[in-house]
Amino acid sequence: MATLAFDAVEKRYGAVRVLHRVDLGVADGEFIVLVGPSGCGKSTLLRCIAGLEDISTGELRIDGRRVNEAAPKDRDVAMVFQSYALYPHMTVRENMGFALKLRGAPDIDRQVDEAASMLGLGHLLGRYPRELSGGQRQRVAMGRAIVRRPKVFLFDEPLSNLDAALRTQVRVELKKLHAQLRTTTVYVTHDQTEALTLADRIVVLNHGVVQQVGTPDELYHEPENRFVAGFIGSPAMNFLEKLADHVVGVRPEAVQLGAGPHAATVEVVERLGFESHVHLRLGDEPLVARVEGPVPSGEVRVAFARSYRFDRATGARV
Amino acid sequence: MILLGAAAFAGEVTLWHAWRGDERAALDALVSQWNAAHPADPVQAVFVPHESLATKAEAAIPHGNGPDLLVFGHDRVAAWAERGIILAVDPGAGFLPVSVDALRVGTHTYGWPLACKSLALFRNRALVPEAPPTTAAMVAAAEAAAGPDRYGLAWEVASAYQSAPWLHGMGGGVLREGAVALDRPENVAGLELISRLLPLAPPDPSGALVTQLFNEGRAAMVLNGPWFLGEVNPEIDYAVSPLPAVSESGQPAAPYVTVETLLLAREGAEARAFGAWLAGPEAAAMRQSQGRQVVAALDVPAPDPVLAAFRAQLETAVAMPTSEAFALHWEPLARSLRRLVRGAATPAQAAAEAQTDYAIVSRPPPPESNPAPWLVALGVAVVAGLGLAVHRARQVNWRPWAYVVPWLFPAFAAMVLLVLCPFVVGAGVAFFETDGREFSFVGIAHFLDILLARDFPLSSPLSFWSTLLVTVLWTVANVAAHVSLGVALALLLREPWVRMRGVFRALLILPWAVPSYITALTWKGMFHRQFGAINAILTAAGAEPVSWFGSFATAFAANLATNTWLGFPFMMVVTLGALASIPRDLEEAAEVDGASWIERFRHVTLPLLRPALLPAVILGSVWTFNQFNVIYLVSGGEPDGSTDILVSQAYRWAFTRGHRYGYAAAYAVLILGVLLLYGRLANRLAGRKVL
Repeated sequence: MATLAFDAVEKRYGAVRVLHRVDLGVADGEFIVLVGPSGCGKSTLLRCIAGLEDISTGELRIDGRRVNEAAPKDRDVAMVFQSYALYPHMTVRENMGFALKLRGAPDIDRQVDEAASMLGLGHLLGRYPRELSGGQRQRVAMGRAIVRRPKVFLFDEPLSNLDAALRTQVRVELKKLHAQLRTTTVYVTHDQTEALTLADRIVVLNHGVVQQVGTPDELYHEPENRFVAGFIGSPAMNFLEKLADHVVGVRPEAVQLGAGPHAATVEVVERLGFESHVHLRLGDEPLVARVEGPVPSGEVRVAFARSYRFDRATGARV
Repeated sequence: MILLGAAAFAGEVTLWHAWRGDERAALDALVSQWNAAHPADPVQAVFVPHESLATKAEAAIPHGNGPDLLVFGHDRVAAWAERGIILAVDPGAGFLPVSVDALRVGTHTYGWPLACKSLALFRNRALVPEAPPTTAAMVAAAEAAAGPDRYGLAWEVASAYQSAPWLHGMGGGVLREGAVALDRPENVAGLELISRLLPLAPPDPSGALVTQLFNEGRAAMVLNGPWFLGEVNPEIDYAVSPLPAVSESGQPAAPYVTVETLLLAREGAEARAFGAWLAGPEAAAMRQSQGRQVVAALDVPAPDPVLAAFRAQLETAVAMPTSEAFALHWEPLARSLRRLVRGAATPAQAAAEAQTDYAIVSRPPPPESNPAPWLVALGVAVVAGLGLAVHRARQVNWRPWAYVVPWLFPAFAAMVLLVLCPFVVGAGVAFFETDGREFSFVGIAHFLDILLARDFPLSSPLSFWSTLLVTVLWTVANVAAHVSLGVALALLLREPWVRMRGVFRALLILPWAVPSYITALTWKGMFHRQFGAINAILTAAGAEPVSWFGSFATAFAANLATNTWLGFPFMMVVTLGALASIPRDLEEAAEVDGASWIERFRHVTLPLLRPALLPAVILGSVWTFNQFNVIYLVSGGEPDGSTDILVSQAYRWAFTRGHRYGYAAAYAVLILGVLLLYGRLANRLAGRKVL
C-alpha cells in the first residue's frame, strides 16, 4: 500500500533523452497503465520505479520517501516480467518463496500456499518451470509477486506472450485480484484494450513524453491531442485533413451512414457479427465507420454525430 | 629411414653423425678429400639429429639397415659392445691415453677416439689476468675480482657433472671398485670444498645464468666446456686454462671427459681404412684447425691457446664411466647438491643422503615371477569376455549394420591402432621388469612395491601415497583457483561499465594460447631467488626476498601461480559462454526480489552456470592432475621431490632413475585408475541434480 510520485523525472543514455520531464502522482491502491507504441519509454519508466535503471534527473518518491538512490531490494516493489523470468533451477514453490527466503521471513510455506491457492497453483508447487504451460508460468510469475505483499506491483507487458483467449481471461483475473488486494499497481502495455479495461488511470507516452494522463473515459472522449485520440480506441479515430482548415477527428461509431452533408463510397466491409466496420472513401481520404445492422453499398451520404478539431501543425486539440 | 637404408646398400661406406657447424663442415671437407683419393669406395656422411641418433642406430644396426660407421659419445660403448651393435677396433697408439681408456670394454677396445670434451676454467682476463694454479689462488683471485654486482666464480653447482671435479680433487669419485660409493669420506671432503666455494658463486645458478653472467662481465671465472666457445660474448677478453689443483690435497680438480668416438657397426676393409684415417693425425689436424675440436690424436700441430688449454685439461681428466650403476647416480647426487646449496644439509649429511637415495633408485628389480597362473587367469578372462560378447552379438539383429560396418571400419581401425594398442602395451609393461630391451615377467610386484611403499617411509616424497596426497592437493587448489578466477573475470567482463571488453577478453585468453612450456619457463625465471621479477618486486616493496624453491609451501605456491595463469582462461571462456545463455531478466528478477549481488550469484547465476562448469571442472581436474610441464619445469619437484606429482614421479622412474620402465608403467596404470575413479564419482555427482 503506497503512493508513487514522479517529480520532473528524466532518463538519458548519454546524449539520448528517453524520458522527458515526467510528472505524475499515483494514489494509494490505484491501478495505473502506461501505454504507448514500442520505444516510447514506458518500460524504461517502469524499470526506473523498480530500480533497475537509474534516474538521470528529477525525483521519484515511494510513500513520500525519495528512492532515486535506493537499491531495488530496498524499494519493496515486486515485478512481473514479460518473459516471466522464473528461476529455471527452482520449483514453483521455491520460485515463489525466494524473496521471502532472502529476507528470512517466517512461515514461508504457509504464505506460498495462500498465494498459490489464490491463483489456482496449488497442484503445481512441486514442478519446475520447464514443466509448465505458458499460462501457468505467467501465473507463477504473478504468484511470485503477490506472495511478497509489496508496496507496489509492477507489470511489464505480462500478457503479451499469451494467446488471445487466455489473455482475456487473465485480464479479468488481474482485475479481480486488484480489487481483492488493492495494491498500488503500475502496468505497462502497448495494447490499448488492456489499458482501457484494467486501468483506473492511463498514462499515454510517446517518444518519452507524457501525452495525457486520465481515466479511460477521459482519454477516450476528451483526448488532448491527435496522438492520444488516434492511439486510444479501436478501430482508431478517423482523421480528415481536407475537410476544413483544421484536422477533423471522428470516431468510427460517430460516423452515420444514410443521410448527411458528405458523400462517400463504400470500398470494403468487415463483418464482425454484432457490428461491421465499413471502409469508405471520402474524397480521396479513407474513413471507417462502425455500423450495427444492415450495411449499405456504393455511394452513401455521411454525417458525423460528434467530431474533434486538431491543430494541423501541433496536433493539439482546438 | 627408407632413404638411409637404401644408402647403406649402395656399395659405399655410410657414416652417421650428429655434428653441426664447424665440426660438420670439417667432416664434409675430409670426406670429399677421401672420396677424391678413393673413387672406388667412397664414403657418404649422413647427418642425423643427436636426439634420434642413438635410437635410430639401436633400431637399424641389428637389422642390417644401419651405417658402416657412426660417431657418438663413448658413454654407449659398453652397452653397444655387449649387444653386438658395434665391433672391436684397435685404434693403435697415437692417442691420448684417457681417450683410449674410455673405449675399453673388457679386453677389447671399441672405436677410434676422435675428439674429447671436458670442462675447463674460463676466466675474464680483465678481472683475472693469470690462470690460478691452485684452488687457493683461485679463491684469492675470485675474492679480488668480486664486486657488488659481480661474482668471483660461477658454475652449475647443482649439476653432478659440473661439481664432480671438486669431488675428484679431494680424491673422491662416484665409483669405488665399480660400485657407487657417494658417501665415502673423500666425497664428504669434496662436498666440504664445494661448501667453501659457495660464497664466491651466485646462488643456485642454471647453465643459462652462468653463461649470461660471464657474457655480461659479471662472473670473473666460470666452469664450462668447448660447447661454450660458440656462445662467449666476443667483447669479453677471455682465456681458458685447466682447472686448478686443490690446495688441500694437491690433487687436480679433474673434470669428466667424454670422447666423441668413431664406432664400427659393420665389418669392412674400406670402413676400417677410412676410420683409421679420420682418427689419424692428418685428418685430426684438419678437424682441430677447421672443426675447432679438441682432438684425441697425439701427433698434431700445436693448437691455439684455447684448444691447447682443453687439451692440457685432458692430462688430468677422468673418463666418464659407462656402467649402468654410474648412470643411476646423477639424480641422487644432484639432489644432495641442491640440499647443500640450500643449506638444508651438511656435507656429511648430503653425502649420506645421496647414497641412500642411490640405494633406492638402484634397488634390485623384483624377482621374476612365474607367468603361468597369470596367463591362465588372463586366458579365462579373455574366453569369458569373448563368450559374453558372442552371447550379446547373437541377440543383435546385424542385418541393418551390414551397411554401416564398412563405413565405421577405418575410424575403428585407427582407434585400435593409435589408442587401444599403445594403451594395452603400456599397461602390459607394468607387469614386466624392463630397461626397454629385455623383459622379465614380475607379475604385480611393481604394483605391490608402489602401493606398499616398501623401500621408503610412507612420508618420503618417493612414496606413492605422499605423492598422491600432494597431487590431490595440487589438483584441488588449482581447480578452485581456476574456477574462481575464471568466473570472477567472466562476470567482470560482462559488466556494462567495462570499456574495451573485446581487448581485455583477448588479453585474458592469451595465456592459454602461449605454449605451456614457454609460460612455465618464464615463470620459473620470475621466481628465481636472485634475478627473478617477483623477488625484485618484493625487495622494492621492502620485503625480504623469498627462496621460492627452498620450501614445500613456497615451491607449491610458485607451481600453483604458474598453473593458475595457464588454467583460468579456459574456465573464463566456458563461463563467458554459459553466461551468454543466462537471460539478464533472471538476475533482474532476483534483484527486485531483494537479493544482494552475492545472493544473486549464489542462488541464481551459479546454479545456472553449474551445468556448463561441471564438465569443465572435471576436464580441468584431469588436466591438472597430469600437469607435467609446470611441475617439471617450474619447481622440478624441488625441494627434494616434495612438489612432484604422480605423473612427474612416473617420468623420473622411467628416465632419470635408470630405465625402470615397468615400474613407471605401473605408476601410469595407477594414475589412470585414480582418474577413472574420480571420473565416475564426478559423473555421479553431476548426475544427481540435472537442470
